[in-house]
Amino acid sequence: MAMILMLEGKPHAIEILRWRPHLVLRIDGRRHEITDIDDGRDGHRSAVIDGALVRFVRATDDDRCHLRIDGRTFEARRRDPRDEAGGEDHAHDGIKAPMPGVVVEIHRQAGERVARGEKIVTIESMKLQTALLAPRDGVLARLKHAAGETFDKDAVIAELEPLSGEA
Amino acid sequence: MTAADPKTPLFAKVLVANRGEIAVRVMRTLAEMGICSVAVHHAVERQAKHVILADEAFELEGATPVAAHLDGGQILRAALAVGADAIHPGYGFLSENADFARAVTEAGLVFIGPRPETIRLMGDKISAIEFARANGVPVSPSVMPTGDLAAFLAEAETIGFPLLIKAAAGGGGKGMSIVRAASELAEAARIAASEAQRYFGDGRIYAELYIERPRHIEVQVLGDGKGGAIHLFERECSVQRRFQKIIEEAPAANLPPALRDEICAAAVRLAQAASYANAGTVEFILGADGRFHFLEMNTRLQVEHPVTEMVTGIDLVRAQIEIAAGRGLPMAQERLTLRGHAIECRICAEDPDNGYLPATGTIRLLEYPEARHIRFENALQRGHKVTSDFDPMLAKLVVHGRDRAEAIERSIAALGDLALLGVIVNIDHLARILDHEAFRAGDLHTGFVTEHAEALAPPALSEAERDRAIIAALLGSHELRELMAAIPEPHASIGAWRN
Repeated sequence: MAMILMLEGKPHAIEILRWRPHLVLRIDGRRHEITDIDDGRDGHRSAVIDGALVRFVRATDDDRCHLRIDGRTFEARRRDPRDEAGGEDHAHDGIKAPMPGVVVEIHRQAGERVARGEKIVTIESMKLQTALLAPRDGVLARLKHAAGETFDKDAVIAELEPLSGEA
Repeated sequence: MTAADPKTPLFAKVLVANRGEIAVRVMRTLAEMGICSVAVHHAVERQAKHVILADEAFELEGATPVAAHLDGGQILRAALAVGADAIHPGYGFLSENADFARAVTEAGLVFIGPRPETIRLMGDKISAIEFARANGVPVSPSVMPTGDLAAFLAEAETIGFPLLIKAAAGGGGKGMSIVRAASELAEAARIAASEAQRYFGDGRIYAELYIERPRHIEVQVLGDGKGGAIHLFERECSVQRRFQKIIEEAPAANLPPALRDEICAAAVRLAQAASYANAGTVEFILGADGRFHFLEMNTRLQVEHPVTEMVTGIDLVRAQIEIAAGRGLPMAQERLTLRGHAIECRICAEDPDNGYLPATGTIRLLEYPEARHIRFENALQRGHKVTSDFDPMLAKLVVHGRDRAEAIERSIAALGDLALLGVIVNIDHLARILDHEAFRAGDLHTGFVTEHAEALAPPALSEAERDRAIIAALLGSHELRELMAAIPEPHASIGAWRN
C-alpha cells in the first residue's frame, strides 16, 4: 500500500509503517519518525522529523501542494495517470504552451521537417515573447492555433508526426 | 484653498489612474495628506485591493482590464464625473502619455507629473539624447535613424563594435539587440525595426556603442517647473533579466564620491535645462572605466522609488503632489543627506530556473515579514488570480539597513520569511542573487544573472532535505489520511510492513 508523490517532477514512493504512537513512514525505502505535528495557524506548520524541528508553510490548490520549507519553494502532487501515459514514443509529440497567451508568429508549417531545437511558433504572454521549440527531430504534423489565436496553459500548440518504427 | 497655508489640503480629491501596488502606495500618501482618493478599475477588478482601499471607486469599461486602464478619455471623464482636482498616473499605463497629460490639463484638472511637452521630449529617445547632448550631459556615440537603411548601416559601422540597436520609441528591452560584428548588423537592424514597428507603431531604430559590463545608475530628480531642480541621489539597478530590473538599491555600491557628484550634477543639469516639473529619473550607463552616458529620462514615478525614500526620508508621492499644487520643492539640495542603504527586490510571477517564464495561478497563501525596516509593497490578497493580463511583477520587498551589508542580510532574511504560495515566484532566486559573493562585493553589471547563471541555479537537494519536503507536503494532506485509513487498526500501532 504505497503512494507515489511527485516532487520536482520525480516520483517518490511513500509507505506508512505505523501511525501510533507517532507516525513512522518510509520514503523510497528510507525510514523517518515524525512527532509533535503542529497544524498551526494559516498554513504555518511544524513537526519534529527524526528528532529535529522543521517549520514550513503549505497550501493546497486542486491536486497540488505548494510548500515553503528551508527557504525553498516546492510543488508536490500525487502521481496521476498523465505521468505514466505515453512512453518515450509519444512523450515528445506534442508541443505544449507553458503558459496561457497568444500565438504571435508561426515559423514552420505542417508537413515540414524540423530539427530538434528549431523555432516552431512564437507565443506571447504577459508582454514577454517566447519561442516554442521542436522537442526532437521530426515532421510537423499539425498546428493547432493560428497567429493571433489565444490558448490556455498546457494547450497543445503543435504536434509532430509520431516516430515510425524504423531505427 | 491657498498654497501658502501648509495645513490646507492641497487637493480635495485625487484620482489614481493605475492599479496594483502602485495605486495602493499612492493612496497611502493621499490618506496621510487628508486627500480623498478615487480608484479606477475594470469589472474584473471589483475586489482588487486598490479598489477596496480607495475612498471612492469608478468602474471603467473595456474589452480587457489593460484596455480600460489605457483609455485616457474614459479616465478623464471619470475624474470629471467624481469631481477630482487632480490625476496621479503612477507608472506604466498613461503615466508617460503626453496627450493624456495635455487633455487632463485642458480639462482644468492637474496632472501630477511633468508638462506634456517634457513628456514628449523625453519619451522620444532620439530627441531626449539630442537634448542631453545639447545641455552638456554625456551621451554615448550613436547613429540617429534615417529613412535610408543603407546609410544608417554605413554610419553605424563607423562607431565600431559591439553596437546596441534600440527602438526610438522603445522601452522594456523590446526591439533591442547587441551586434558584435559587421556581418550581423543588417539582419539585426531589420529584426529590431520590425519589432519596434509591432510594439510601438514606430519602426525607427538607432544604434549606439555598447558598453561591456555596464552598470545601470539612475538619479532621482525633482523639479519645480521653473528651472529649479534637486537630486535625491542615485539608485543602482544593474541586476536585470530580459533587460528589466529585478533588484535595485540606493545608494550604488562602491561609487567613488566624486563620480557620484558628477553623475548627480549631470542629472540636475538636464532637469534644470528642461525646466522639469515634478519627479523624474535620469538613467545612465556607467562603464568599468568610470565613463557614464545618458540613457533616458523617465518622466514619472519609478517602480523602485521606495529605496530612495528609505535613504532620504522624503516621501516622493507627497513631493509630487506638493509640486503639482505649486508648493515647490520639499527641501534644498544641501539639506538632503543619505541615511544607510536600501534594497528593493521585485517579486515576480515567473520561473527563474526555467528561462524566467511567466507563471500564472491563484495565491493560496501570503505571509510577509513586518518590521520598521521593511516595506512590502503589494496589492495581493489570498485567492488573487495571477493571470497573463498584467505584468508579472506582483510585489516589491524593500529593506533598509544601516549599511549595505546589513541591508543585504536583512533582505535575505525577509525573503526567507516571505511565503507566496500558489504561483511560481522568484523569491528563492532573488535570495540567491543577494547571497552571491559578487553581489555582496558590489561587482554588478547588467549581465549579472547571465554571468552567474550556474551559481544562481537552485542547489541540488540532499536526500534528507528532499524527504523533509515530502513529509511536509504529506502532513495534513488527505492523501496521508487515506494512507492511514488503509492500515487495519491492529496494525496501526505495531507497524504494517515489518520485514
